[in-house]
Amino acid sequence: MEQKKELNFTSPSFGKRLKGMLGVDFYRLFHTPLFYIFLAIAAIIPAMILGMTGIENAQGIVEPMYTNTWQVIAAQNPLYVVSSIAEYANMNMVFIFGGIMVSIFIGHDYKSGYVKQLFTTHPKKQDYMLSKTIIGAFSMTCMCITYLFGTILAGLFVGASFSVNIGSLICAILGKMIMSLGWASLFVFLNIIFRKYFAISIASSFFFGTGILIVGAAAILGNSSILNIFLYGSSVFACLSSNILTLVTCLIVSIAWSVIYNILGTHILNKSDVY
Amino acid sequence: MNAIEIKNLTKKFGEKQALAGLNMTVPVGSIYGFIGENGSGKSTTEKIICGLIHPSSGQVKLYDKDYTDVNVRASVGVLIEAPGCYPNYSVWNNLMLQATNLSIENKEEEVKKVLKMVRMEGAAANKFKNCSLGMKQRIGIAMALLGNPKLLVLDEPINGLDADGMRIMREVLTDITTKGGTVLISSHILGELEKIATHYGIIRGGKMIVEMTADELDKSCPTFVALNAKDMSKTKEILKKNYSRVLIDEQKEYIRIYDSTSPEEVVKYLYDNNIIVNEIKTDKIGLEEYYINLMNKKGAK
Repeated sequence: MEQKKELNFTSPSFGKRLKGMLGVDFYRLFHTPLFYIFLAIAAIIPAMILGMTGIENAQGIVEPMYTNTWQVIAAQNPLYVVSSIAEYANMNMVFIFGGIMVSIFIGHDYKSGYVKQLFTTHPKKQDYMLSKTIIGAFSMTCMCITYLFGTILAGLFVGASFSVNIGSLICAILGKMIMSLGWASLFVFLNIIFRKYFAISIASSFFFGTGILIVGAAAILGNSSILNIFLYGSSVFACLSSNILTLVTCLIVSIAWSVIYNILGTHILNKSDVY
Repeated sequence: MNAIEIKNLTKKFGEKQALAGLNMTVPVGSIYGFIGENGSGKSTTEKIICGLIHPSSGQVKLYDKDYTDVNVRASVGVLIEAPGCYPNYSVWNNLMLQATNLSIENKEEEVKKVLKMVRMEGAAANKFKNCSLGMKQRIGIAMALLGNPKLLVLDEPINGLDADGMRIMREVLTDITTKGGTVLISSHILGELEKIATHYGIIRGGKMIVEMTADELDKSCPTFVALNAKDMSKTKEILKKNYSRVLIDEQKEYIRIYDSTSPEEVVKYLYDNNIIVNEIKTDKIGLEEYYINLMNKKGAK
């Protein structure tokens, strides 16, 4: 009986647990060269889009495809149906890189065997899902910021126009940043499903990150606003004609998918063998 | 109270039955030596205890609570297969990350403490990937010790350890149990396990075939007289006339007489038969031999 009294079992509160996990994940994020490489890529891409794309006019002269700098951030109007790479290439590309990063980040947890330690002492799988989603969203938001700086520098360099409705631009950029949360939860979910197959994890993140399924659906449905219920749809919806409604839509869609993917991911981790 | 109590545990991986109704009891404060051949189900059992895989059926309790209980599981330290460390980080950083993960208050002090326990203070700055196998095992043990766990689950922790490492391991594990902790340890190095274990469980084909205390093992292991003489075959033949259970050991170094515990009596008998004995002693079969005999018996059945 005496022994029973001495054995007092307590575990950290949810807040402490999450703080601990985030502490580990942020340390890893800031100490992995991959994060900085992706930040650099995100900064270089706008320059490549703005400076290296062109279109031949009737006289056979190649003119810049983009005359306005902010077109590299988002399209003027929500274009779900894309007919050229120019209509597709904008800040949404950050989500593809974010997907690859989340895959590598989670892949290392399994490859190093760190999850053995983690899941032994942290049986609450939602903590893991949440922590990885936050890290993924944070890294994609950072990429959005470097993409923005890259865009401004590239615009100044090529002498493109900067005229824009500033309110709409802010709504578009904030909308895309908000969408990082939803995208991150999708990538974490995909990596939970394919956690034992690293290559498939990366491939699936890339595939879904491109939004190709929604682009395909748009080819059938046309530029329908119903597509806004999907992550890619809302990301496209955050365009240069955005307003506060766009932000609210992005917020609702991003949080809703985030909750769905977190619940599904937690369920899968709870029901399957984790290592 | 038992630290671990398992009843009718089964686990299937597809068609493969890894555990087939395992029963197991690990008392609080014990060092439980978990023994079995490769593929017998040791690691599967340990992974279930740690919540890494789910059982197909059966009951697993840790300190009278379900093994999924959040509070109990926060008090489990684990080293399964290899330590779960990031190869490019230093030993220190890996331990600090685990301390962060466990929400330990005085992280630096705690990490210093466990590094000292496994005598790895000097290697703290080394990258994990540059550590030797023995060092990695010690780091794994240090990691398992973080946060003062009440239950340690160690899968093959002795592998790769040198003599000094093994001594340190013995000290650390014994120290834990004196403070009320419990250790479940699986190993193929039975001689080493025998020095520390207070309880044993022998598993085969996913079933527990024997569970006993170290005292019970001691009583189950027969004492015998072992001797070495110039002509071993002739000596054996002469001994067989007076003793019924006479065997030459595997190394052909000693003749064992199982139905005598008196070297004096044996020497006198051989002297009377003109045999000069080079060396004679009383001995006992150890865990390793007990295990091999048991496996052979079960195999024969």
